Amino acid sequence: MRQTVPLCHLDDLADGSAKGFDPQHQGSDTVFIVRSGDKVFAYEDKCPHYRGQTSLPWRKDAYLDPFGETIVCAAHGAHFEIATGLCTAGPCLGESLTRVPLQIRDDGCVLAELNDNNVGGESP
Amino acid sequence: MNIIGPDALVFGVDDVEACSQYVTDYGLEPKGNGRFEALDGTAVIVLPKDDPTLPAPLATGTSLRKTVYGVADQQTLDAIAAELGKDREVKQLDDGSLEAVDDLGFVLGFQVTVRKALSLAAEVVNAPGSSALRPVNTVGVQKEASPKPRSLSHVVYFVPDFAKAEAFYADRLGFVTTDRFHHVGPFMRPAGTDDHHTLFFIQTPPHMQGIEHFTFHMGGPTEVMQAGTNMVNKGYQSFWGPGRHLFGSNWFWYFKSPFGCNMEYDADMDLHDDNWTARELPPGADNSQAFLFQYREKWAPMGPPPGK
Repeated sequence: MRQTVPLCHLDDLADGSAKGFDPQHQGSDTVFIVRSGDKVFAYEDKCPHYRGQTSLPWRKDAYLDPFGETIVCAAHGAHFEIATGLCTAGPCLGESLTRVPLQIRDDGCVLAELNDNNVGGESP
Repeated sequence: MNIIGPDALVFGVDDVEACSQYVTDYGLEPKGNGRFEALDGTAVIVLPKDDPTLPAPLATGTSLRKTVYGVADQQTLDAIAAELGKDREVKQLDDGSLEAVDDLGFVLGFQVTVRKALSLAAEVVNAPGSSALRPVNTVGVQKEASPKPRSLSHVVYFVPDFAKAEAFYADRLGFVTTDRFHHVGPFMRPAGTDDHHTLFFIQTPPHMQGIEHFTFHMGGPTEVMQAGTNMVNKGYQSFWGPGRHLFGSNWFWYFKSPFGCNMEYDADMDLHDDNWTARELPPGADNSQAFLFQYREKWAPMGPPPGK
């Protein structure tokens, strides 16, 4: 079952930054958004290494490298392309982050389409 | 070979400021020039990845650039130089240390150890029947505490060929295997320490070669819990723990870090000598730990007063 949940306003996301969210009140972030220019990308906060059993950042919202160019998992240094979620270096080379579809309303509200079964739980 | 254990880990990182803040919050003491020390003088050294004094990185881009071992004396250094000099370059650096590359490509340093002898009590617990108790009227725990890491405990490498790694450290440097996980790799200790392990290998594909985590010893399980809780309260994110490992018996709590590897606190690791026979188990959750917990915010079973 899918649900559409508001996460934030576009203005809350600075260009070149990332932010984590806990829309289903799991106690820790389960989804993160990266803003790159006019575009926003959202992924489940689960590294494909260890089949999604670890979240990525070493502290809240620390999803990007210091240059804002790539998504990094702090556990073992995996790098992921911001636009695709593809792992380009590190343990899960060639695997991808799980995309979370977003809707952006005219008023700038950013909503995520969440799957009850795979956000905050165990991925296959 | 009287190698005692790791004296320092040298990192080349993207974000020197974040990594420096991280190891300071972890409890190491900033000493300048990127050096952050535990109580006994063992250290993590944080430098920008393009620092010209750093050895070349592994092709995988791991942030660990050098593992520096402390040895007992000059005689041991001379023996290492003679042994490794048989088939590879051994550099003599200006500070008197040696530098060489192991059979997998990790850069190693060797120096007469900088470790200072510590005289600190371990955590003492009270239990019926035990003769080793805390003195009467001595309380066991403080509400607020910032325990300091005592000594660099161990480093774990992802390696493409653990058998080759084990053979190098055993045959050339005198390390002993204390335990092993099937098809994953051995826990090893050098001859100059009783610690269960200062080195552990995890078999991985070649593109992962590098550091998996590093660890400092704490004074006991309560220090692991309080230091880890302090990290959580500073916004750092737990990776695994707290819990207690089976091999080594060490209490553990791992945190993700801006080094692109995990950092662990450990305490109460087993000690072994040459009479120990290495155990071997399949890897997996059941054999990795006796138990595992997860942090939660402080809570107490407090409701409204009775009758209200």
